[in-house]
Order: sequence, then structure tokens, then C-alpha cells
Amino acid sequence: MTDSLILGLSSGSACLATCGMVMFPYLMADSANVKRIAVDLSLFLITRLIIYAIMATLAWHFGQAVFKSPVVRNIVPGLLYIIFAVMLVWYSISKSRNPSCPAKMVKTVSNKRLVPIVLGLTNSLGFCPALFIILTKGSTERTLVQSYLAFLGFFVGSSLWFLPLPLAGRIRKKEVIKNIGILATGLAGVIFLIKGLTNIIGGIING
Amino acid sequence: MDNILKTTGMKKSLGKSLLYTLPMFLITFMFLTGGKPNFSDTASGIALLTVFILVNVLFFFMHFTGKTDKYRAVLFIVFALSLSYALINNMLEVRKAMYFSQADILECKIPFCHLVIPMMILPAAFTKSIIFPGSIIGGFANISSMVVLWLVATLVLGRGFCSWGCFYGGWDDGFSRIRKRPVIKKINELWKWMPYAVLIMVILSAALTLMPTYCSWICPFKAVTEFEQVTSVESATKAGIFLSLFGGLVIVLPVMTKKRTQCSFLCPLGAINSLSNKITPFTVKIDKSACNECFKCVGVCPLYALSKEDIRSGKVSIFCSKCGKCMDACPQNAIHYGIKGVPSGTLKNFSRNLFLFVSYLFMAVFSAGSIINTFHGLLKFIF
Repeated sequence: MTDSLILGLSSGSACLATCGMVMFPYLMADSANVKRIAVDLSLFLITRLIIYAIMATLAWHFGQAVFKSPVVRNIVPGLLYIIFAVMLVWYSISKSRNPSCPAKMVKTVSNKRLVPIVLGLTNSLGFCPALFIILTKGSTERTLVQSYLAFLGFFVGSSLWFLPLPLAGRIRKKEVIKNIGILATGLAGVIFLIKGLTNIIGGIING
Repeated sequence: MDNILKTTGMKKSLGKSLLYTLPMFLITFMFLTGGKPNFSDTASGIALLTVFILVNVLFFFMHFTGKTDKYRAVLFIVFALSLSYALINNMLEVRKAMYFSQADILECKIPFCHLVIPMMILPAAFTKSIIFPGSIIGGFANISSMVVLWLVATLVLGRGFCSWGCFYGGWDDGFSRIRKRPVIKKINELWKWMPYAVLIMVILSAALTLMPTYCSWICPFKAVTEFEQVTSVESATKAGIFLSLFGGLVIVLPVMTKKRTQCSFLCPLGAINSLSNKITPFTVKIDKSACNECFKCVGVCPLYALSKEDIRSGKVSIFCSKCGKCMDACPQNAIHYGIKGVPSGTLKNFSRNLFLFVSYLFMAVFSAGSIINTFHGLLKFIF
């Protein structure tokens, strides 16, 4: 659970850097009403949690069906870790990283009550390298509970960044926080790159 | 007064320099000898005398020539080399190997270093336990003495600890001085924030796993101190990471950039020390009235702590380690040691004398023991 929490924490900051300013005006539409903000944030987070629970279940069953032999169970996820980790590192160092946020589609939602749910959906289904890594991890866990825990770690790590969203406009030196977040994302990528390599080498030696 | 300073820099006359060195001479004599020099063993006597002379001669020249970094670096680099030698020597004597086993971990026999400190904070606060398998009091490189030394030095010197107290910094400082000109001249400013990303990662991972994750997985200085015995794919991977980071950040990049790249782009303790720059009494100030914006200081700063914008705004960044290299390079004496609350451009000499005395005394006392031991070992080895 530790590595998924760290992955969530590091990628959450980068996610906030790209999506925060899109989501902020919608979640804070009635900023005078604290109750409304709390309800909307809760709906947003609950939607994400439900989506992640579904993904944890699907990923684990997929892993059970596909990664049957111990060698495949090490080598294929190892390769996937490496691919997604390289994507994550590339995201953090690339100057042309895509600043667009999938949550922009919320502009098309006319029912204001549905906005936090749609934001939760788009945010959790915005398939980024970090989510691919956690899907790989979920698919290789021994039990379904461990898969849930991996996704829970990712959810908690990434959600922590959204809690101070109401303060986002007041936080000074946002550029510094964004920079540190992007670098942390790259580091998380390196961690999973090493994890992937260790998986493959371990699989070959033990196979 | 200021006009005189601009033309002569911080140079002092022979008599004044000797006078300023006298307190250092007396204090280091007391610290190194305990007031009773022991010359019963010739090798020990020669080692003690040589280090005592070296320490005081370097301090004298700091005053006599007005140059800071040039002489600081000598002791700093010798300190780094000798401490690695002392650590390795101790391990070879105690364990007959540079690696430690699982039994050494269980018996808390791992030497402690200050880089572990950021990882200890959260577990100590929440579990009331120290996650490092070392000796708390007593024994070689124990935890309590290192924490106290680091805390006091950081509160007084801020990130100055990284250039006046860290026994690893001398490694990349030394390699950064090998070439005359850098091969890589420009590095993206974004990388300056990497130590903070590393700091966040290691603090969190250490709190969650109750393991000193930086030491286990990242620390490049494992290559020149102690490391885990290679018995599995995981321990082999760790050894690969240590060696790659040491080769890349401590040797190759410092040579190519003439910068202390490990300190600038990796060290999590450096990140904490940078923050402590906000509360320390000593600082580095820019006298805008004297500065002609030649930006020589920006070029020579080994920690990417100075930018053209910083010079124009008259403020150094929090990354400054007060090494004095910018001051040595400044032809106008416009960048200088200062004391918080005192306007820039004033009390330049007083601030420098005070800072040098405190920081150099700390380095001299902290480093002398291991330098003497190393020199003594070398003398015994040669003769």
C-alpha cells in the first residue's frame, strides 16, 4: 500500500497542477455556502472512490485470469511497470507536457447537481501513466483485498491534494509547489521503473 | 570605509591576521589535545601536529588573503575523504568487510549519519521510536551526538552546514574543482527543487514503512561508506542505485558542470537546511550600491543558489550554503556575509569575522578527529 500511496501523493500534485484550476471554479461555484462545498467535495471524492473500487475489482480478476504462471506474473507486470514508469518520468521531464485536463468536459453538463459526480468520473477515468501503474499493481496482487488496498492508497494519496482546493487560490508560490509535484511524479516513476526491473530479473532468476 | 573595502576586499595585514587566528589557535589546541598534548607515539604526535598546523594556517590565510572558499574547501574536502577512510577503516576492523549483515542491523551496529535525520522525524513523533538501526548513545557514530551536532550547527549556520559541516559535501565539492571550465553550462532551474521532492518522498515512505528508505535505496555515499550485503536481486538493485548515483551525481556531473550536483539535485537534508536559512542569524547579502552586475558570482555558485534575478533584486536564494565562493569571485566586494537585521553594505568585516569564526571553528573541531585518525593510519601504513 505504501508505494501506491506515494504514487497517489506524487501524481496527485501534478493532477492538481493541470486540473485544479479547471475543477476549482465548478466545485467552488457557491463558495459562500460552506455546506455546499463540503457536500460537493464529498460527492466528488465518493465518486472517485467508487470508480477506483470497481477498477480494483476488474484489475484483480483480469490479473487472475491472465497472469497464471509465476514467470508471467513477474515478467509481464514488470514490463508494464517499466513502460508506464517511463511515461510518468517522461511526463515530469518533458517540456511539452500536455496541460489539458479531461475535466474540461464538465462545461457541457447543464445540471449543476451532477457536476461533482461528473468531475469525479472524469478525474478518476483520466487514464494517466500513474493510473496505469496502479492498475498493473492491482492486477498482480495476491488477494482482492490487497488490490482494494492498493487502490485505496492511491485514492488517499491523490485525494489529499484536493482537500485544500478551496485554499488553492490563496496559496502563494503555486509554481514552486507545481514544480516539486512534477519532480515527485518523476521520482515515483523511477521507483516503479526499478520495481519493474526487479520484477523481471526476479522472474527470470526464479523461473 | 566602504571605498577602502572595495579596493582591498577583505584582506588583513599580517599582524591583524595573526591576531584573528589566535583565538582559533587556542581553542583548537584545547579541543585537539585536551590541554595535554601527548607525543608518546611518534605517528600520533606528527598527525596531531600536522592537522593542528593545517587547520590554523588555513584560517590565517582566510584573513590574510581575504579569500574564504579557497581555504574552506581544502579542509572540507580533506574532511570528506578522511571521514570515509575512518568509516571504512572502522568497518574493516570491526566486521572485516564494508558491507553489513542482517545481524548487524538487528544488533543496531550501523554507523549513523545526518542524512537519516529527515526520515526519523515522523516515526519518532508518532511511534516514539527511532527507525535507524544504530546506537543511540556511545559507540562509533552514535545517533544522539550526530543529531545534536546537526541541530545546533543548522540553527546557527542554516544551510551553511552543507559547506562547513557536512562530511559528504567535500566529495562533490572536490570533483567540481577538477576542470577549469564546465562542459555543461546550463541546467534547467526546475531541478533545483528536486531535493524537496526527494525529501517529501523519503519522509513519507519512511513514516509508512518505518524504514530509513533513503539509506536503504538512494544514498549515493553508500558507495564510500557501508552498504547492505548483496544476497538478493533487491540488494543487488540497491547496490546498483548507490553506485550509479555516486558515479553520476558525485563524480561525473560535478566534473562536467563544476557544480555540487549531489547537494543541488538530490540531498533531502540540504532541502531542510535550506529552509533553516530563514531562521539563522547569518546570511549572505548583496550590496546593490557596489554591485556592477558582472554576474561572476552567478557563474561560480556551486549550488545554483544565485541567479541574475537574485542579484538584481539584492537577495540570495534559500539554497545558499554560505561557502564564500561568490565573495571570492566578486571584484567589487559587493556580495558579503551579513547578519540579519543589519543593512547590506554595512558591517561587512565584522559580519565576516564573526561568521568565519563560528563556522570554521565548527568545521575544525568536527573534522580534526577523523583527519588526525586518517593521517595517523596513513603514517603507520607508510612507515
